[in-house]
Parts: sequence; C-alpha cells; structure tokens
Amino acid sequence: MNFGPHPIHEEDTGFVPDRYVLAKFADSNALLEGTRKIREAGQKDLDTHTPYPVHGLEKALGLGRPLIPTIVLGGAIAGAFIAYSMIYFMNVLDWPMNIGNRPPHSPPANIPITFELAVLLAGTSSFFGFFTLARLPRPYHPVFQSEAFRAASIDGFFLSIKVPAGESTDKAAALMQAEGAVHVEIIEELER
Amino acid sequence: MSASPSPHTEVSRDPLEPTVLIEGAQTDQSLNDSLLNHVWRGAGRGWWMLFGVALSMLGLLIVAIGWTLYNGIGTWGNNIPVGWAFGIINFVWWIGIGHAGTLISAILLLLQQKWRTSINRFAEAMTLFAVICALLFPLLHTGRPWFAAYWLMPYPSVQGIWPQFKSPLTWDVFAVSTYFTISLLFWFLGLVPDLAALRDSSKSKTKRMIYGIFAMGWRGSGRHWAEYKWAYLLLAGLSTPLVLSVHTIVSFDFAVSVIPGWHTTIFPPYFVAGAVFSGFAMVATWMIPARHFLGLKHVVTVKHMENMCKVMLATGMMVSYGYIMEHFIAWYSGNPYEQGQFFKVRWFGPMAPIFWTMFTCNVVTPQLFWFKKVRTNMKMIWVMSLFINLGMWCERFNIVITSLHRDFIPSSWRNYAPTWVDFSLFIGTIGLFSTLFLLFLKFVPAVAVTEVKELRHEMEHDAHERDHGAEAHA
Repeated sequence: MNFGPHPIHEEDTGFVPDRYVLAKFADSNALLEGTRKIREAGQKDLDTHTPYPVHGLEKALGLGRPLIPTIVLGGAIAGAFIAYSMIYFMNVLDWPMNIGNRPPHSPPANIPITFELAVLLAGTSSFFGFFTLARLPRPYHPVFQSEAFRAASIDGFFLSIKVPAGESTDKAAALMQAEGAVHVEIIEELER
Repeated sequence: MSASPSPHTEVSRDPLEPTVLIEGAQTDQSLNDSLLNHVWRGAGRGWWMLFGVALSMLGLLIVAIGWTLYNGIGTWGNNIPVGWAFGIINFVWWIGIGHAGTLISAILLLLQQKWRTSINRFAEAMTLFAVICALLFPLLHTGRPWFAAYWLMPYPSVQGIWPQFKSPLTWDVFAVSTYFTISLLFWFLGLVPDLAALRDSSKSKTKRMIYGIFAMGWRGSGRHWAEYKWAYLLLAGLSTPLVLSVHTIVSFDFAVSVIPGWHTTIFPPYFVAGAVFSGFAMVATWMIPARHFLGLKHVVTVKHMENMCKVMLATGMMVSYGYIMEHFIAWYSGNPYEQGQFFKVRWFGPMAPIFWTMFTCNVVTPQLFWFKKVRTNMKMIWVMSLFINLGMWCERFNIVITSLHRDFIPSSWRNYAPTWVDFSLFIGTIGLFSTLFLLFLKFVPAVAVTEVKELRHEMEHDAHERDHGAEAHA
C-alpha cells in the first residue's frame, strides 16, 4: 500500500509529518549486511525492526554501550542504602526497642531487608528504565501505517530510515534497493 | 497422551549431538501460527468444563473468606499451642510452588539451558498465581486484612511506632512483596514482544486494539532490543538470588524460633530444594495436559519433560537428605525434646500418617525417575507429580503442626483438627489458581513465542556452522 503525499488542508495546522523509508529484507543476514552497509554509506536515523533480537545488529546500527546496567546498579545501591538507613533510623534513632537485650543496631538482622530492597529497586529500575529509554508505551508510530509492517513481530526483518523534513526520500530508498531490500515503501505520517 | 518412543530408542546416539528442542521443520511463521493458535481458536468444551470447576472452587474461597472476615479467625482450627496451622502450611506450599517458575526462567537462563525456552512463560505465570494464593493466607491470618498494611509496612503513624526489624516475619513481608513485584515485571517484560505478535496476527480490530494496548507499541526496534536484552538479563540475574533469599527467609520464620523441629540450621537449603521440587511437580501437573490439548508437543517435547523429571529427582534427593539430616541432628544433639519430636511424635504420634505419607511421596516416589521408561511416560509423570504435590503439602503440615502440638511441657500439648473453613480456604485457593491459569491459557500464549523463534534461529545458525566446519575439515 502506498501512502502518497498528503492533500493540502484548507487551514494550516502547522503539522509537519515525519517521513520514513521502510524496507523489508529477505532474512536476518540480509538485514544485518544491509544495515551495516547503509550506515557506513553515511545514512543517519536508522532503525531495524525484527521479531526477535538478532545478534550483531547493535554493532550494525552503531549503537553505543547500553545504559540499562548503569541504571540497574544505581537502583541497587539506592535500594540498599534506603533499606539500611531506614532500619537504622527506625530501630536505633527514632524508637529503640530492647528485644531480648539485643543491641539496637545489629547488622546481621538488617541484611535480609537490605538485600530485598536492593533487588526491588534494581528490578523496578530495570523495567521502568527500559520503558523510559525506549519511550514506550507509544501505541502509535508512523511505521504501523504500513500493512506489510505487521510481519515485523512475526517473521519479517525491516529497516526504517527517518528522513528529515525538506529532504528527499529518494536517496534512502535507492540505498535500500541497492542493498537488496525485497520491498521498499515511503511512509508519511498521517495527521491525527 | 502417550509418548512416542521413537526418538529415544536409538542406542548409539552421539552424546555430543545437540538434542532436538523444537521438533519438525519449523519456520518463524509456522511457530507463530502453531503457538498462537490456542489463543485465537474459541474455548473448547474441555476448557469450559475445567473453568466451571475452577470457578465453583473460587466461589468456595469467597464464602470461606467472607465467613472468616465476618466471624474472625476463631472459625479456623488454630489453637494454643498450634497457633500457626493451615494458614502457614498453605502459604509455604504455594510460595514453594511459585519458585519453579523463577528457577526455570532465571536460573536456567543464566546457565544457558536452552530447553527452558519452551516452558518458562508457563512456569512464570504459575509463579505469579501461586504467589497471589500464598499472599492471601498471611493477610487473612491477621484477621483484619484492611489493617495489614498498617501493621506490616513502615510508615510514620501517629502512634510513633515502627516495625521490629529483627523479626523474620518483618523480613518476610519485604521478601514476598519484592518477589511478587519482580516476578510480575519479569513476566510482563518477556511478554511484550509476544503481545506485539498477537496484535499483528489478530484478525479482528477489537482484538488488535486490546493486544495493542498491552503490547505498549512494541515495534521490534533494534535500539529497543539492545536495551531490552540487558533489562531482561538483569531481571533474571536479580531473580536468581531473590528466589533463594525468599524461601530462605520463609524458612527463617521457623528456624529462628526455638520449637523442637523448627530450630534447625538446615532449613534454608532444605526449604529451597523442597520449593523447587514441588514447583516442578506443579509445572508437570499442568504442562502434561496443556501440551496435549493446546498442541504444543513440537516445542515442549518428551525431552523437556524428561529434563523436568531429572530436576525433580535431584531436588527430591536433596529433600530426602534434609529429612535424614534433621533426624541425625536430633539424635546427635542429645536434646530430649528434639529426639522426642523426631523419633516418637513424628513416627508414631497422632499425626504419624501425615509423616509417612510425606515420606512415601517425597522420598520413595521420585526414585522411579531413575528409569527412562518412567521419565518418558506422560501418564506416569502426571500421577507422580500429584503425589509429589501431596507429599510437599504433608511436609509443611509436619513442620508446622506436628512440631507445635507437642512442645516442651506435656501440660501444654494439644491436638489439632482443621475446620471446614480451613479446608475451604485451601481448596478455594486451588480454585483461584486454576481460574487464573485457565484465563492465562486462553488469552496469552503459553509458550514464549519470541524466544522460541530466537532459539530456532540460533539452532539453525549452529547447525549451519557445524556443517560448514565439517566441510572445512574434510
């Protein structure tokens, strides 16, 4: 299905549609090769869409180190710190209780909760960190306008290039054709 | 449901040859179709029948909860000295069942056991539902669950009082609530790409929208996958020590006290082994019918079931070792109360039938798994898994009630009898678990489709490498 240029509206809403060139590749190897070569040709704003993670795509896309591990480490340290200081404040400073003449500050007894809260905050920061970095949930994205794109979560391997406003989509489309894409289409974001 | 013996009768199989984890010639499309099929096709008569049974048991749970809340926990069989009875037995039993899910999804992921891929989603769902059932019991045991958060969670109240952090019961609150939260996040994160596959292969617009909302707008972006893989791996890495810590802390509820039969250092590892043992049994109980009726035999192969039997055999032996050690230490300690508890009360006391049922189910039954004929016979595994579930429930009965009803002074001894409310709560949680599980099987793919596709891709790649390598050597 081809989405042609947008008809000119009578009143101007100031909407500038995002434009994408979307290409389907035959399999994961073709996508990997194509992505690498297109990026090396100097093309920017590439993204791939695959039903499962394909080994080597991060490199082909030229992505840097993932941020998640650092975020999770931060979460773990924060959790441990919050837990230990909470216990210390509550059972030592604010309201010391004498239970069987044990010292108010007894480190071994604090370990379980310190560990659990470290895991809780590390885990939640992994989950929410991922969705924040990925800018999800985002139920609508221009690539979903393509009917062929439904295969991206099933068995299709896609490459998308975002083309800046004012630039022609021809160059990106030609690059994809040259790298052996089996299906290329231009997507212009519909105004909602 | 009978297993086809053909792949297992070859005698001279090269042990280094990779095992077949996905049977038949599959493509991404065929896996997608076959694994999502059970979501798209209408519920059959069998599903409705099971759902009806589960709902009626759930009804019983609601009646029992209502009765408990209206009349108080005096309607339970608890007494003094048996202050902890069915409530804690069922709590520990359900939490233990949940642990197999985390073991399969997290520990086996870290150990790169590829066979986990076909069963992890299923087992993780089981974890969630089992933990929900488990959490009901301590909440109800407070008598007034609407005050539970008020008593358990540290928050600044006008009374100016805080929880006592040296108590294992306080640790338990943190452990179990963390466990539930992390299991839920881990399960949902793994599910997102599969929900996108459901969204994109749905036929009607309504279904597409509903699955679309839950899929969070997933578009398989390479940039997302790069972070996603780490988020998933780290959640697995965190869940591994978490699952060990949760059952360790549950065992501290007992081990930190001084009751003969509870005051034992072997409890943490013995509880964790028992949890995995019972959890795998519960996975087998549900998986054997599910793989048959949902058409999952090509991804949950006889080999998968056989591996699960081996885990049950190994953990069953650890549990048996725990029983032997408890008795040895009771004798070796020279403590008359401990010796009385183990060699008189447990073996010959009023609760002895429960002890011997436990012993038969947990020590003798798994020994049959030494035989390949048993490990590959689905009917046999199914029956044995029920025995193990029963045995593990009896184990907790032994620990909780048998230890409590005979403590130090004969004047404080008292027998225990559960009431209809106790039984209804227990049967009711089985109903709650089954209801949730049947709904899961109806609306969500039972097998992690994305991970199976990735596994197929990897295996294809490996096979290619092998053939290529062989050519190079020739």
